[in-house]
Amino acid sequence: MIECPSCGRPQQPLLICPDCGSPLAAPLDCFAALGMSRTLTIDLGALERRYHELSRKLHPDRFASSAARVRDASLRATATLTRSYRTIRDPVARGLYWLELIGEKLSENNKRVPPELAELVFEVQEQLAGMHDAPADSDAARELAAQVAQRRAQLQATMDASLADLERNFLKWDQRSDEKMLTLELKAILSSIAYLRTLIRDVDRALENSKAA
Amino acid sequence: MSRIFGIDLGTTNSLIAAMEDGAPRVIAMGGNHRALLPSVVAIAPDGAITVGERAIEMEPHLTVERDGRVSAVGFAGGEYGAVIRSVKRYMGLGGDEIAPEDRARYTFADLSGPVVRFQIGKRVFTPSQISAEILRALKDGAERALRAAGKDEKVERVVITVPAYFNDGQRQATKDAGRLAGLEVVRLVNEPTAASLAYGLNTQAAGNVAVFDFGGGTFDISILSIKQGIFEVLATNGDTHLGGDDIDRVIVEWLLAEIPDALKLDRHVWNSARMAAEDAKKRLTDVAETPVVVELPGHSIRKHLTRGALERMAEPFLARTLKRCELAVADAKLTPADIDAVVLVGGSTRMPLVRQRVAAMFHREPLCSIDPDQIVALGAAVQASVLMGMQGDMLLLDVVPLSLGIETMGGVMERLIHRNTTIPTSVAEGFTTAVDNQTHVDIHVLQGERELAKDCRSLARFKLGPIQPQPAGVPRIEVTFLIDANGILNVNARDERTGREHSVDVKPSYGLTDDEIERMLEEAVDLGEQDLEERLLISYRNDAEQILGALRKQLGEFGALVDNRERARMDEVVERLEAARIGTDRELIAKLVEELNEVTTPFAERIMDAAIKLALEKKSVEDLS
Repeated sequence: MIECPSCGRPQQPLLICPDCGSPLAAPLDCFAALGMSRTLTIDLGALERRYHELSRKLHPDRFASSAARVRDASLRATATLTRSYRTIRDPVARGLYWLELIGEKLSENNKRVPPELAELVFEVQEQLAGMHDAPADSDAARELAAQVAQRRAQLQATMDASLADLERNFLKWDQRSDEKMLTLELKAILSSIAYLRTLIRDVDRALENSKAA
Repeated sequence: MSRIFGIDLGTTNSLIAAMEDGAPRVIAMGGNHRALLPSVVAIAPDGAITVGERAIEMEPHLTVERDGRVSAVGFAGGEYGAVIRSVKRYMGLGGDEIAPEDRARYTFADLSGPVVRFQIGKRVFTPSQISAEILRALKDGAERALRAAGKDEKVERVVITVPAYFNDGQRQATKDAGRLAGLEVVRLVNEPTAASLAYGLNTQAAGNVAVFDFGGGTFDISILSIKQGIFEVLATNGDTHLGGDDIDRVIVEWLLAEIPDALKLDRHVWNSARMAAEDAKKRLTDVAETPVVVELPGHSIRKHLTRGALERMAEPFLARTLKRCELAVADAKLTPADIDAVVLVGGSTRMPLVRQRVAAMFHREPLCSIDPDQIVALGAAVQASVLMGMQGDMLLLDVVPLSLGIETMGGVMERLIHRNTTIPTSVAEGFTTAVDNQTHVDIHVLQGERELAKDCRSLARFKLGPIQPQPAGVPRIEVTFLIDANGILNVNARDERTGREHSVDVKPSYGLTDDEIERMLEEAVDLGEQDLEERLLISYRNDAEQILGALRKQLGEFGALVDNRERARMDEVVERLEAARIGTDRELIAKLVEELNEVTTPFAERIMDAAIKLALEKKSVEDLS
């Protein structure tokens, strides 16, 4: 139970006091903060409307002339709301957060490249190294840059496929399939995505540099 | 509760606005009833302070005397006092962060400390103190304008706008300036976001809006989504050292290319050239070419500037703004085609080339229905009324422009809050000890997008502790980094075991400490009361001088438009005002300024009519030929 900074009544952990409507700075999980049940498939339009509606009730701009305690609660409640919205809105962040909720995490010491990506990762890194070593403004450098640009498209297609896998995995969670199998699958997809993100970032940087040179 | 006012504290000009009958309006002030207060502060050797138009007259420059001689006038700096312009370029920065071209402009007391300080005579001023003078002038001016309109209202609570790309230190320095001016800064609002409020209020807009804000000293681009009164910033980007000032500088360099370097550095020469450059740049908005003249002692520089040449000079700066636009649109996960409207803000957007390029980039004509010099102040007034609970469902959700993180092992920046995260936001991070019986943990907070701590801006350092001596890794302290709606960082720490709150003494890497602010406030109070009376009197006198000077000039040029009876009435008020001006009764001066304004209004209207008629005649002659 926490005490409402405005009406002083003890309340359940919520973001808004049910008695007086004042913001409550309760520590809440992301789903609870948005007043949603724990499901992984999300209607993004409804999520945004919910976020806007709660922002209107909680935002510090609504309490500019209130007592310091209420202003402080509004600030904290809005920070919780905003963080929750960003986490739930982004499918990758949502997946990672789900693992956290069920007491799992992408193991940090697992540096092994996901097997289905191994070949791709190797090839891209070779090409980037070649680009790095090629003399600036040479034909070889331009040729390599063109190849890397093609790679970029391939990486994006692979990323899109992984994101589609992620959505399918989410759907299965909500249909209450075998949790153990789904956890393994979720971890594999998220770790592929993490790898792809790093690769795409490196490729973009290399392309940007070659453009600047 | 008193009304909240909106202030645009600009690099070149500052304005104050408020809601009147449901619409935001800028408050015109001074003898000439202008809304724009030049952000120029003159400090005389004895410490007397003048702000605005009159301060510009005190700026060191060259003037042509009646006999044709060219002489130097104004305060040159050092022990002679100084005139500070574009103080915003120095806000919240340490000496080592000042751009080289900004460093040469004034005399500084200390360029190694966490805050730059201007040396003026025997006194030293921080940029926050100078900005506070601009804020005071706005406050005084607005209160007088309100009194003249029959409202006895004080300006106490304000919203102040800042460039979206201002970092934590620059924001803090702006808040400090408000505090030093005796104002409660209820909220800092990002300038492009404020502009979108002014725009959205008028049009009941919905969709994706890009705000291109190119002012005197700073550039911002913000991409917003507007939906049912929620103004949600999706991404922002910018450069706090990129503006019209930079274009002026290139023109000055071109103007002064042939004269010896020693003369070039002379502040009188430089300022005269800058004034000529700025005028020429503005003229080239309407004409294709213009003469530019700088009179030097015994020599004059006469050149011709074409719009094409100006555009070539402006091009590199414009290219930088467009690059920032691309980044912002990409960060918003949109393409230029997804943008439904482009709003232009800031004087530099008057350049035809800027409009063309922005239109080409977003594939649509930018909107400029609201005066680009006023739109930010108007938006600040809208936000002020949101804060007073008078705008229904309207709400602004802004973002933090730069990532926030901490320095970790090996000097790497670990990002805790990413740029373009909606604020307020917070993140909690656990810390522990690395060796047995360690009693403190040092934390270095950074802001920026680079990988290494040394390439990011140091925001603050603090020590967590004292921690009870325990084996390494046992203590668990949770530190919460919270960015409030102003984009300013707050830190607190809690011992996870005991639940005890740790006090966190954050030492800002740049900027003023609370103690320093307190000291400045005390000094201000000491000098205070008599200062205020004196300052008010001086500013009333200045107004009188301004209106008298303007009238003299108008009578010289358009004397034929006044009949004898009218002239006699004017002369009578002028005489009384001339007498009052020497005295110390400021209310009397104000009353007579108002009276003279009233008496001369019909005359001013006739001058306007005559000018329009003249312009029309000229045009019809051109049409015939």
